[in-house]
Amino acid sequence: MPQLDFSIFPSQLFWLCICFFTMLFIMSKLIIPRIAEMIELRREKIEGNLEKAAEIKAEAEKSLEKYRKALQDATNDANQSLLKTQQELQAMIERKQDDLSAKLSAQIAEGEKKILNSKNKALQQVNDISAEIAVEIMKKLDLKDIKIQDFEKALKTSLKD
Amino acid sequence: MSNPMEQFVVKPLIPLEIGGVDVSFTNSALFMVLAVVVSSLLLGFCLRKRSIIPTTAQSIPEGIYEFISGLLRENVGVEGLKYFPFIFTVFLFVAFGNLLGLFPYAFTFTSHLTAVGALSIIALLFNIGIGIKKKKIGWLRTFLPKGIPFALAPLIVPIEMISFLSKPFSLTVRLVANMTVGHIMLKIIAGFVVALGVAGVVPVLFNSCIVCFEIFIALLQAFIYTVLSCIYLGDALHEH
Repeated sequence: MPQLDFSIFPSQLFWLCICFFTMLFIMSKLIIPRIAEMIELRREKIEGNLEKAAEIKAEAEKSLEKYRKALQDATNDANQSLLKTQQELQAMIERKQDDLSAKLSAQIAEGEKKILNSKNKALQQVNDISAEIAVEIMKKLDLKDIKIQDFEKALKTSLKD
Repeated sequence: MSNPMEQFVVKPLIPLEIGGVDVSFTNSALFMVLAVVVSSLLLGFCLRKRSIIPTTAQSIPEGIYEFISGLLRENVGVEGLKYFPFIFTVFLFVAFGNLLGLFPYAFTFTSHLTAVGALSIIALLFNIGIGIKKKKIGWLRTFLPKGIPFALAPLIVPIEMISFLSKPFSLTVRLVANMTVGHIMLKIIAGFVVALGVAGVVPVLFNSCIVCFEIFIALLQAFIYTVLSCIYLGDALHEH
């Protein structure tokens, strides 16, 4: 078996040392730094991106909070002004109603007065007319001794009863 | 039928001798160099254009990177990431050694005890080195765990030493055995192709399946070698 020929050992050891250490030199000076650099760069970039993402997220949350607060404020404002307007309207309605009812009652009172006047006047006229009618009747009946004043007196008394 | 062991023969390509020791540039050394060149060029090619969003090519080295760093974090802890380049290189070196060996006429240096043994020795020395650097003289405690009476030292110390040294040995044997067996099987079945004539289609199909399986084994064994290296590294760094 050629593997067991140890006479070649010095040559094998010599060339293996040369090759191995040359390769170790090439790898550690040329190849490995090139790989490590890229991997490190990539790791940094990923971490940087993650950090940036976290920052943006925090910012977004902050603006959401701001938006929520603005919305709350606006709602409050709107509610307040709505309430105020409602109160104002209520007051106005009440005032108008009061005005209207006052005007109406004044008109009613005036109307009643007018009606009363007309009634009185009408009654007076009725009295006058009835007296005149009575006088005319007397004339027709030839009852000259009864004067118009007597009738009026009699009418008044009868009306009093 | 050709000898299935022939593929493992180490042949010197450029004879070389330093201080009387034969360190010829062999076909094994050639494939070690190829593993370095191919893996470096491939990763360099994959990384030629880089972007935050990885391209398909870029995601391959990044996948290996994440995989190895995950392995280290799990088995050694965060302090293990200091030794990332070492483990990363071990994984790629073994993986490319295994994969390049699967090409026809290629040589698989990971099927050689001497080659993988040398790699394991480097890993062992590395472990000892960082162990001593971290725990100073306390590193010797590795061979005599706390809470054991000093009287037992003559018994415990050799046992712990054997266990310490057998780790890289088992690491080596596991990888070598897997690679050797896979390649012998491929060669033997390939030998049937010509012998069977028209019916040789059957071993060709069978071999195709085995090659796919061997690719999986090549990566799996590289993974296992790396995981165990990580675990031994963890042992060197932590009390046990």
